[in-house]
Amino acid sequence: MTRRPFLGWFVSPAGLVALGLAAALAAVFQYSLRAYIPGSLDVGGFTLGNFADLLKPIYGSAFLQTVALCFETAVITLLLGYPLAYALVRTRNKALKSVILIIAVTPLFLGEVVRTYSWMIVLGNNGFINSVLMGLGLIQKPVQFMFTSFGVVVALVHVTLPVMVIMLAAALSHIDRDYEKAAESLGAGPIRAFLTVTLPLSMPGIIAGVTTAFAWTFSAFATPQLIGGGRVNTISTLVYQLGFASFNFPFAATLSVAGLALTLVVLALLKRVMRPLEKLGEH
Amino acid sequence: MPAGSPVIEDAPRRAAVQLDGVTKKFGGSVALHEAWLKIPSGEFMTLLGPSGCGKTTLLNLVAGFLDTDGGEIFIDGTLVTETPAHKREIGIVFQNYALFPHMDVAKNIGYGLRMRGVPKAEIARRVEQALALVKLTGYADRRPRQLSGGQQQRVALARALVIRPKVLLLDEPFSALDKNLRGSMQVELKEIQRELGVTTIFVTHDQGEALSMSDRIAVMSAGRIRQIATPDEIYRRPADRFVASFVGDVNVLKARLGSRQSSEAVATVGGIPVIVPAGPLNDVASGAAIDLFVRPEHIQLAPAGEAGTLRGTVSTHIFQGGHVDVYVEAPALSRDRILVRLPGVDAITRWPVGGQVGLRFGTTDLTAFPVEGDPA
Repeated sequence: MTRRPFLGWFVSPAGLVALGLAAALAAVFQYSLRAYIPGSLDVGGFTLGNFADLLKPIYGSAFLQTVALCFETAVITLLLGYPLAYALVRTRNKALKSVILIIAVTPLFLGEVVRTYSWMIVLGNNGFINSVLMGLGLIQKPVQFMFTSFGVVVALVHVTLPVMVIMLAAALSHIDRDYEKAAESLGAGPIRAFLTVTLPLSMPGIIAGVTTAFAWTFSAFATPQLIGGGRVNTISTLVYQLGFASFNFPFAATLSVAGLALTLVVLALLKRVMRPLEKLGEH
Repeated sequence: MPAGSPVIEDAPRRAAVQLDGVTKKFGGSVALHEAWLKIPSGEFMTLLGPSGCGKTTLLNLVAGFLDTDGGEIFIDGTLVTETPAHKREIGIVFQNYALFPHMDVAKNIGYGLRMRGVPKAEIARRVEQALALVKLTGYADRRPRQLSGGQQQRVALARALVIRPKVLLLDEPFSALDKNLRGSMQVELKEIQRELGVTTIFVTHDQGEALSMSDRIAVMSAGRIRQIATPDEIYRRPADRFVASFVGDVNVLKARLGSRQSSEAVATVGGIPVIVPAGPLNDVASGAAIDLFVRPEHIQLAPAGEAGTLRGTVSTHIFQGGHVDVYVEAPALSRDRILVRLPGVDAITRWPVGGQVGLRFGTTDLTAFPVEGDPA
């Protein structure tokens, strides 16, 4: 085995960060098992009561709504991101490449709050979309986008699009153009060539993109909080309300732990469902 | 036949592929300049040239992967200039084979048949036949990555042939194989091609491959077809300097044009007269300097000073197994050392390094071109 004298130094910063994260998680886990003392920031003794409270309908529906939101966001991001990534990889037009890159990547550079406020301006009852539609006489009164899960999904797609495009582009750029040429020479039209060759071969990128979009959306806070306006309850917004409006730290911690567990379960399920698809695209 | 001019030969059979003045530009540069080509059915036609000569562009135009900027393409007598690739009924073997990595061998070979809606039972039967043709019976369930380079190439060939294409295109198919395998695959491919009688366009930069496999060769350079002829004619009667130097080894010697008859001319090299084709020398005045092109196997060595020989000094031997390459310095004849190819091994002892020798040129198969520049 070769000696790697600097390896220890290289990984130690990451190790420190991981240690801090583990300590924080341990603290959250510890809080989740404590009793809540109303009106006090202190916590009581150990109890499993918080986890029993999770079974209340409001939390069950918040879990379902969060998962649904994540699925919708991931699927829509995939459908919007795939053509962009494909064009980005395949076009020889440098200007078009730059435009796609700018469209795809700028959301990463905007802060979450700035981006979310921009969407509020666009989606609001007197916002850009409604003003244009009413100005054109297409609608009589504003369409409600704000405080709906549709509005939240739109804003979340904007966040997840960059990472989706980057992951899909990475996968697509590894697919030799000759595969498509071979398919076409064998009698497949462009669409059939895409469906039978390019799409299956890009499956690893699709899986990576969908999984990441799902995980990101699950933990998103400012977007569902501001655009949902309290009417779209996700795990994150509930944790915030419990922790910083009701000061019920123990139950906020319980919800966080449950959310984390749910994310891991859903991602494991996703992986299981998609494994046969991934085999399809094996190189 | 003047080089670079449109070359249309009367084919005994109907042309399987015909290019009428096909031009392709990329940006401002011309990748293919008015290519005229007529490939009779069943012929093995090779496009030979260095990289960037336009041979791959020509192949992609025939395949339908590129649009022409002028001229027309016919396949089997039908105009296909505007026909998309998937409707041209063409089989292609790519340089890297491009086997679909997510399909097994049988699925790869059956792909074209599935696209044509051939019934399942017939697909299975024809895939089996194709596997037998390329000697891969029993490999139907393997994935491409489980196969060796040679096996992958056979699958690629089977996949291209199973659709019974009107023309088979081969894009440098041997370049990824090691030397020993390359030789045996060449023989095998040629056998299969002859057996099926499929019209084939083969792209290569390897002149050895071109000479050994082709019925005819189109030598290309800088976007132009320089000569279309049989391998023998390309080698013995190159149309211009480029063809003469690109195909096979050749010595370029200083010579002078003497008298000229209708098709032949007399040139003198070091005072010794030789006969060359007059065609390439039409614009050269009698007595002017010309370049004489001599293949290494058309020079013999004799004791120095023997009548009818020119003097030189042996500088190096290179033992090549079946023959010996002897390099001779003769500054009066050529700036470069002259390569002489002698059969057997005794040449090494017979013509020692540093010794004086006499060079004797054959009387046939010499060609001469004007000094400098291209006649095209």
